[in-house]
Amino acid sequence: MDVDSDSDISLFGDEDPRAKGKGKGKASERPRKGKAKRKAKEQAYTWEASYTRSWDTVQEDETGSLQGSVEDLMARGRRRRLLAPASAIRRTIIRHLVLILDLSNSMMDRDFRPTRFDLALRYAREFVAEWFDQNPLGQIGVVGMRSGLGERVGEMSGNPQDVLRSLSDRAKLEPAGEPSLQNAIEMARGNMSHLPTQSSREILIIYGSLTTCDPGNIHETLEVCVKSRIRISIIALAAEMKICRELSDKTGGKFGVAMNEGHFKDLLFELVPPPVQQATIRNAGSGSGNPPADLMMMGFPTRLPDTSTPSLCACHSDMKSEGFLCPRCMAKVCDVPTDCDICGLMIVSSPHLARSYHHLFPVKPYEAVASLDDTSQSASACHACARPFPAAPSSGVVTEGISPLGRYRCPDCHHDFCTECDVFVHDVVHCCPGCGK
Amino acid sequence: MEAEADKPSHLAVIVDLSPTQWYLSAQASNPYPLSIESFLSQILAFLNAHIATKNENTLAVFGAFPGKSVMLYASTETLVDEPPPLDANSYPPFKMVDTTVTQRIFRELDTIDPGDEPPCALVGALTKALCYINRITLPSISTSVAEGSTNVPDPRILILSVSPDLSSSYIPIMNAIFSAQKLKVTIDVCKIYGPDTVFLQQAAHLTNGSYIFLERRDALLQYLIMSFLPPPSVRKVLAVPRQDKIDFRAACFCHKNIVDIGFVCSVCLSIFCQPVPVCSTCRTKFPIKALQRLKSACPSPAPATPRPLANLNNAVPRTTEATNHGTPGLR
Ligand SMILES: [Zn+2]
Ligand SMILES: [Zn+2]
Ligand SMILES: [Zn+2]
Ligand SMILES: [Zn+2]
Ligand SMILES: [Zn+2]
Ligand SMILES: [Zn+2]
Repeated sequence: MDVDSDSDISLFGDEDPRAKGKGKGKASERPRKGKAKRKAKEQAYTWEASYTRSWDTVQEDETGSLQGSVEDLMARGRRRRLLAPASAIRRTIIRHLVLILDLSNSMMDRDFRPTRFDLALRYAREFVAEWFDQNPLGQIGVVGMRSGLGERVGEMSGNPQDVLRSLSDRAKLEPAGEPSLQNAIEMARGNMSHLPTQSSREILIIYGSLTTCDPGNIHETLEVCVKSRIRISIIALAAEMKICRELSDKTGGKFGVAMNEGHFKDLLFELVPPPVQQATIRNAGSGSGNPPADLMMMGFPTRLPDTSTPSLCACHSDMKSEGFLCPRCMAKVCDVPTDCDICGLMIVSSPHLARSYHHLFPVKPYEAVASLDDTSQSASACHACARPFPAAPSSGVVTEGISPLGRYRCPDCHHDFCTECDVFVHDVVHCCPGCGK
Repeated sequence: MEAEADKPSHLAVIVDLSPTQWYLSAQASNPYPLSIESFLSQILAFLNAHIATKNENTLAVFGAFPGKSVMLYASTETLVDEPPPLDANSYPPFKMVDTTVTQRIFRELDTIDPGDEPPCALVGALTKALCYINRITLPSISTSVAEGSTNVPDPRILILSVSPDLSSSYIPIMNAIFSAQKLKVTIDVCKIYGPDTVFLQQAAHLTNGSYIFLERRDALLQYLIMSFLPPPSVRKVLAVPRQDKIDFRAACFCHKNIVDIGFVCSVCLSIFCQPVPVCSTCRTKFPIKALQRLKSACPSPAPATPRPLANLNNAVPRTTEATNHGTPGLR
């Protein structure tokens, strides 16, 4: 699959060139999607092609084996890792997001199956669950665009269950009328106006329409959003609209047009990881969120099992067994994270914080071992999983970043690892089995 | 395929083999002294029981030695140079496990430098166990998908711990826990000697495993067979003992102290045990005002006294103290 860089619709490719580090790795993947998308454009309806899509991404070689494409995918992943900055990067951890769902008539289109609306709702639920997993201290509010108005669907909440509940009732969200971008954005802005300065403010719009019916000048709303450092990201389900592109460009957000179900999900889930803090990259004038840093006092509680003696909780005065004890005043609260109702201490469960630590201390990329000449004593099996290494180097085209011997060496402990472990260690475990850190 | 309980299971056992801790454990001054020899014979009986439970069951054993972790046994690998001679009185698979594990343990123990003893490489052993599970559960490219999906065993990890918490391994242990969650691996912990470890308690809790503090150390084998032999799918009906309280404390990044109230950088969530002017992880400078405010609010060593109850809007008698002693696990 060759790189066609003249893709007519670039997604995030024409991003601000100053946004280094962030764009680089991703940009290498873009052209592929651009191609898949153009293919999609040739067909009248996405659903006609939805069964063939998955074959587009993987291709057999002359002998009919998939090995080549799989290795290619892995090489791509490896190169992306090598490009990523090795030092710790600043990420926004305390995030506030308002999810704006298009609930207008155009969402009943069936080009995404079963309908745009059903698919958007399903992905939105998956997005919320994943988002809270990676942004444990964040909050999400939900706003709908229906009948020319902005509708508050779910209040800002840090509890995934609350947000999911607001998205669970399909009947209540039944699409109707025209959407209004301005009304919805104004409402989202109102939801976030009270927030402390050290948190990010983001708006994510899932937009199915090609029109917006606004009461005033939406460019004024855009100006205000830039001023209050609200980042607007938009995923369009129909086609690109100039105002949508402008909203996301000027506020430092992302814009993308979903071409099919899988692409829609990709675009959505790209917004899950905490964004790199852009303070050092962009000037304050460009309006990206750069809240001042702060040191917060937090307490790590003790969890009581459901077999302990029942007692009243400090938050609801309910009689129950399980709960969390505030480490400062020993009051019992029902759920974390929360502020202690008695002493005001912010109580979080430490595993919540720990979920983001692999961003801070990434494992050094392993070096692909090109030949075994340099070391006489080399292990015969992977140091982590004991899978034996191939004795002879594989013949065939040597791809950059791929070891012909299937060996990848840790620069610190000098142990050799197999391809699968290399991927697993860097993408999942975030800890080198040889160094133990 | 009938019930889930019918699936084979893969058990990865991580044995903490710190010479110092085992020496202390064998001292006669302990209520129930347990020597490493007696421990090994009980653990081998347990491993044999696991293999015997189901023909398809697989096993991997990892040793955490001072500063080094080693794979001691794996069902798919031959790790000894010569297979043990056949013996009419023993079942060959049992014999294979027993000789491989003991041989490799003694070989490693012999190479240990008696001078200084670095802490045990529990993290290395844990990540290796996860890599191995990833290897055997991942449908490999060569085998067809249909075949792979039915025969993949249910994976779990059992950690037999004798060392105290190593606070410098807080982050790697947490990372290992999250990857275990992703792979749907249950982590069980049996604390054989020494104080409770906060991190392993969290590991068991977050992966739905059991954390058991061995009180009667003379009954190790019974604990192992009753609590850790049945796979998690069967334990629902067995009422296996679960842990009582879970301590959610974390280790600070600056001194590696285990803290219950910490100061957290809002940018990267690094934890510090006292207010610091600059975050050592992400180099963020904190405003002076916030520092002064936090310094004044800094928790004194003595526990802060709770405010009088009368100040509460809904003045209810607080019975927090009563909850502090857990009741026996009756449900
Ligand atoms: Zn409550
Ligand atoms: Zn409190
Ligand atoms: Zn490996
Ligand atoms: Zn290493
Ligand atoms: Zn400290
Ligand atoms: Zn920091």
